[in-house]
Amino acid sequence: MSSEPKVLAESRVFEQPFWNTVMEFHPLTASGQTTLPKVLDRMTAHPGAACVLALHCREVVGIATRRDLLQAIAQNSEWFHLQLAQVMTRPVITVPQSDLPTDLPAIPLFLKQFARYQVSHLPVVDERNQLIGLLDETRLLRALPLWCATDGAAKAERSPHSEELRRQHQRAELFAEITLKIRQSLQLKEILQTSVNEVQRLLDADRVLIYQVLPDGTGKPISEAVVAPYQAILGFSFPEEVFPEEYQTLYAQGRVQAITDVHAPDSGLAQCLVEFIEQWGIQSKLIVPIVHPLKPEQSVGNAPLRNHLWGLLIAHQCRGPREWSEFELELMRQLADQISIALSQGQMLEYLEERVRLRTAELTQANRALHREIQDRQQVEAALRQSEEQLRLITNNLPVLIAYVDRQQRYRFNNQTYEHWFGQSPTEIYGQSINAVMGATYYRTIQTYIKTALSGNQVTYESELTLKDGRCHSVSVTYIPHVEATDTAVPQIRGFFALTTDISDRKAIERMKDEFIAVVSHELRTPLTSIHGSLKLMATGRLGHLSTEGQQMLEVADENTDRLVRLVNNVLDLQRIESGEVTMEAQVCDAADLIEQGVEAMRAIAQEHNIELQTQADAISIWADPDYIVQTLTNLIGNAIKFSHPGDVIQLAVRSNFEPILPSHLSDTVLHRHRAVPAMALFCVQDSGQGIPADKLNSVFERFQQVDSSDSRKKGGTGLGLAICRKIVEQHGGQIWAESQLGVGSCFYFTVPLYAAELV
Amino acid sequence: MPSKCVLVIDDEESIQKVVRLSLKLEASWQTITASSGQEGICQAEKHQPDAILLDVMMPAIDGIATFESLHENSQTQSIPVILLTAKTGTSEKRLFQKIGVAGVITKPFNPLTLASQVAKLLGWSI
Repeated sequence: MSSEPKVLAESRVFEQPFWNTVMEFHPLTASGQTTLPKVLDRMTAHPGAACVLALHCREVVGIATRRDLLQAIAQNSEWFHLQLAQVMTRPVITVPQSDLPTDLPAIPLFLKQFARYQVSHLPVVDERNQLIGLLDETRLLRALPLWCATDGAAKAERSPHSEELRRQHQRAELFAEITLKIRQSLQLKEILQTSVNEVQRLLDADRVLIYQVLPDGTGKPISEAVVAPYQAILGFSFPEEVFPEEYQTLYAQGRVQAITDVHAPDSGLAQCLVEFIEQWGIQSKLIVPIVHPLKPEQSVGNAPLRNHLWGLLIAHQCRGPREWSEFELELMRQLADQISIALSQGQMLEYLEERVRLRTAELTQANRALHREIQDRQQVEAALRQSEEQLRLITNNLPVLIAYVDRQQRYRFNNQTYEHWFGQSPTEIYGQSINAVMGATYYRTIQTYIKTALSGNQVTYESELTLKDGRCHSVSVTYIPHVEATDTAVPQIRGFFALTTDISDRKAIERMKDEFIAVVSHELRTPLTSIHGSLKLMATGRLGHLSTEGQQMLEVADENTDRLVRLVNNVLDLQRIESGEVTMEAQVCDAADLIEQGVEAMRAIAQEHNIELQTQADAISIWADPDYIVQTLTNLIGNAIKFSHPGDVIQLAVRSNFEPILPSHLSDTVLHRHRAVPAMALFCVQDSGQGIPADKLNSVFERFQQVDSSDSRKKGGTGLGLAICRKIVEQHGGQIWAESQLGVGSCFYFTVPLYAAELV
Repeated sequence: MPSKCVLVIDDEESIQKVVRLSLKLEASWQTITASSGQEGICQAEKHQPDAILLDVMMPAIDGIATFESLHENSQTQSIPVILLTAKTGTSEKRLFQKIGVAGVITKPFNPLTLASQVAKLLGWSI
């Protein structure tokens, strides 16, 4: 090509008007710090822009094609953080405006710069290196034939060297046309087939093929254009011997082999090779290497790309020997270069598509995993919602108040019942203090229970609440501390749960029961008094004498009337204490004096049974209701008398500052209470009677519970005496228990508070 | 010892009979009876008994109201009153003592010792 004469005078027409038509004067630009998402936004807004130029003070510092951007996105999952400077190519190959070709023959050489630098765009700069415009190879190739066919051709007609110019125009046109066709596709197979078709057409060759060299040294034709009647070679595998390694090396270095006649002695072909190619009818051939950089996945790290022999572009002449012109050689070289570029692009596209496919697969898998996770979460959330809904349904439909109160005594949860009872919705109550919601007066009455709960102890109390209907309701309230385990040994009390139950109905029934018992008991007493009195008087015999059997029956009636009187008295006593009708009026009492009162009250009966009562009392003061302590003592003494034998001694004692005797059957709770409140007086009533079995030591304090069910008949007991004792002692804040050994005797203990002065 | 006259105020006739017989057999005291508070007050004014045994739970005027009337009446206020009651609660006994009665005997009482109890409360000898 370089041997072609240049016609500078005629080529001047090629200057400014042509470049003005092919140059993009307002290419897409951005600073290097622009983020990729913004760059992509701008490219989306300019769909015609194939690349973006990075500028700094109007100097081009980098270039990024759509392919570069796609590659960055495909290779980097964090691509949205990248900046243009991180993905663009630099330094940039630029063309000074002054270097733009001014004559037609220089155009193919100029076009080779695109192939040489493996670029598709060339920025054009002025003498100060500032951007003027952008040349797009494809656009240039498209514009060239058009110019040749019109303006350039017209001018060529007027030229004295019109024939040469015409041929130059024709070559340039053909080259541009073929190159354009090749580059129009990015599909490798299509590129190769277009290439062989166009070359065969252009050269009028009998067969044009592309032979791919495989890594093991063998190869095979992968595209072919062949004219009849010549045989197709496509698909035939060539053995290594026909293409030795030294040939490959030469071709990789750019060797072009043009053989006019394969049978000529100067063809340079070995005889075996001649025989091999004869089977395809080849008379003459032209071979041009297709060299291109390694595929991206074949390059290692950031090592520079190196050329390798990808294949050969081969033209066969079968109808006879052929002299290949320099123009044809040059054309083949340039087309091989174009094929190489197209291959690179196609392979890059394949590579990118593969990366995109892999990335898409990864994303799809990630999406599926995410979708599954979302579904799992949705299921968990749905289950949680359902659980919460059920819990809300339960709490809101229970006829009790349920609340959670924090350490600052503010409501953090209330069920709907609060609205039904007080007319305040949970939303209104949320965050308010107990004081504000329940009122200061009521709050004062429950303050001590709140403190108990916030100190970590469960507490239950009964109270009365006025509801929105204005009626007063009896309620039972339980506070359960919310204890949270911590790293330290001391658990934290976060607040407490409050459960309030309306016990108005129960209270009403209890009142009715109490009233019923009171009335019945009282109404029983009146006829009992008459019967009792009458029988007693009759038994004296002063109203007349009965027969022996009559006298016995009278005594039976008298004894059982006494028993009935005691029973009625005890029922009435117990009912009064349990109903709260009775209040203990504590005062300072001398413990020894109370023992003496008890003994005095029971002395006559003891004497009647021939039993001695002995006392051993410290001079201590207690804080108690004397009448009820005496009642307790007389009950215990009465029991001791009943179960003692004639001649026995019953011992009564009281002492202070006692250490708990640790009765084996008492629970730890009781023992803790004793230790926590040691300032008590301990009373003891000890007999040497038949004793109580261990399994009955607790139950004897229950109502109508006796060691032997026949005791009530044999001993005349009512089964209520010890129950009354327990109620009295508990109302004093004390404890009562028994210890016993069968056949040896029993000892009943009870405690009452010492008077404060005793503690000093 | 001069015979005593005791007024028994109780709405139960059977109680009246038992008390009367008991006091008669044990101490040979005379008794007069009344079946209501109002009647009791009239009898007290009329007969000026040495003591009154007064039931607490009675219809119309109960024992406490009757006692208060007797106490406010100049003709009867000096007559000692002993309550004869089925109300045996400790707190009730305290209440009765506070209002100034001479004593409280609970029902059912022992008829063989009733006169002794009354005498002890009033400082009499039998």
